[in-house]
Amino acid sequence: MKFRGAEAIVETIDWQGITAISKVRNKRGYRHLSLEKRLVTERLRSESRIMERLLSQGISVPAIYSVNPVENSIIMEFIDGQTLERALRTDVFNSHLEDLAYLLSKIHSLGVIHGDPTTSNFLVKDQLYAIDFGLASMSDDPEGRASDLRVFLESLDSHHSEINGREIFLDAYSKWKDSKAVLEALNVLELRGRYNLMRG
Amino acid sequence: MSDIILGVESTAHTAGVGIITSEGKILSNQRSVYIPDEGEGIHPREAANHHVEKFPELFKNAFEEASLSPKEITLVSYARGPGLGPCLRTGATAARAFAYTHKIPILGVNHCVAHLEIGLLEGATDPVLLYLSGANTQVIAYAEGRYRVFGETIDIGIGNGLDKFAREAGMGFPGGPKLEKIAEGDKLIDLPYSVKGMDLAFSGLMTAAKQKLDSGHSLSSVAYSVQETAFAMSCEVAERALAHTGKTELVLGGGVACNSRLREMAMIMTKERGVNCFVPERSLCVDNGVMIGWLGYQMMSANYQLAEEDNMVNQKYRTDMVEVTWR
Repeated sequence: MKFRGAEAIVETIDWQGITAISKVRNKRGYRHLSLEKRLVTERLRSESRIMERLLSQGISVPAIYSVNPVENSIIMEFIDGQTLERALRTDVFNSHLEDLAYLLSKIHSLGVIHGDPTTSNFLVKDQLYAIDFGLASMSDDPEGRASDLRVFLESLDSHHSEINGREIFLDAYSKWKDSKAVLEALNVLELRGRYNLMRG
Repeated sequence: MSDIILGVESTAHTAGVGIITSEGKILSNQRSVYIPDEGEGIHPREAANHHVEKFPELFKNAFEEASLSPKEITLVSYARGPGLGPCLRTGATAARAFAYTHKIPILGVNHCVAHLEIGLLEGATDPVLLYLSGANTQVIAYAEGRYRVFGETIDIGIGNGLDKFAREAGMGFPGGPKLEKIAEGDKLIDLPYSVKGMDLAFSGLMTAAKQKLDSGHSLSSVAYSVQETAFAMSCEVAERALAHTGKTELVLGGGVACNSRLREMAMIMTKERGVNCFVPERSLCVDNGVMIGWLGYQMMSANYQLAEEDNMVNQKYRTDMVEVTWR
């Protein structure tokens, strides 16, 4: 498998006899060199630190095998599952949505904002895994958490308009004890005009 | 016999009348832009007054340039929205008056979708549109019967941000092109780079830029850094949408897409990614009547069923509200 993502080349490699994922942030020629360096270094560092943090707390994310700041690469566990995007096209989409709400609330409760929780950034195997923490950050701010929910709901809406997943997902997320402020922030965010038919 | 379509645009600053044939030949593209008083932003009523005054002349010039008589027009199309209410109503009224006088069918279309569909005239078939204008900053692509917004600004539009920064730095409207002219340097001043998933935010960037200016950095170097940062953010979300949707074409649209540095960055991004980049000429990137006419024709030629609401303006007419039946 080899995939050219929006900021990195992600491929499966053989790493000391096991199949692993290598994620290399290659240079973006359109970006100013110093901006490019700043972003790549920041993102590599934050991605590996955040994944380590989640791993140590027992959250299902790929294990990190190696980080190389010179090559801007991370080598991590290969999760051989199907994307949530595909899994949501099956009959059991409700339980996937509930699992996701639980996983995301656990991630949030540990002070992490995923940053890009679209349906392609979760894998279903024996359990649900969160991947791609390239845009993740550390924050306890309800607005950051709400922004995660909105990114997910938007990807749900643009890729899965046939299912009405919003309610199932938000219901499950609201079971988390600290969810109230997040859902209120989501409400504010969505009322901030552009999500509420204000703009084209 | 080929159809000849007249398109009327009036969503914001620009009053535009365009004439285009069903083969995509542009016969006229008349535009007049309202310029606010120095130090001020757009005033919807003032802009609408400007449009009212200019429309008769724009119609007249369009027919002269196209060497046509009004009777030869087979369809009238105007921008229903999104936009400023008073401005929208002037274009709709002008279009209706013209259509009813000459007994020509009329429909209203979505302004944002028109920016995308004019890219199809350039040869794109199923693109991602990076739409950067004053009020609108969106990444749009077709999926499951609609043009969907994959990412957008979560605070202000990129163009409004650039205009605001330029205004505070003492430059008049439109600020974006003025910043482009003076942007100079190779050293980048660190500014907030705000990408959240496929969404962007610009207000923090513009505030920080103003602070850099106040703390003694030269206007040309701050302008340079603002452009580098804001456009890199825009290209990144466009690339994210390309990766996410798996599409292989990018179209640029909106007034900010006239910026040469943005165009260059988009070309580099698409080349590195191995996808095609379509950049409409500048007069078709900015708000114009031609794209409105072209979209109207696309819809009607696919037997679009007109509803009553297709002849009403709608300030909040979002991109993803349009059911795409003509593809």
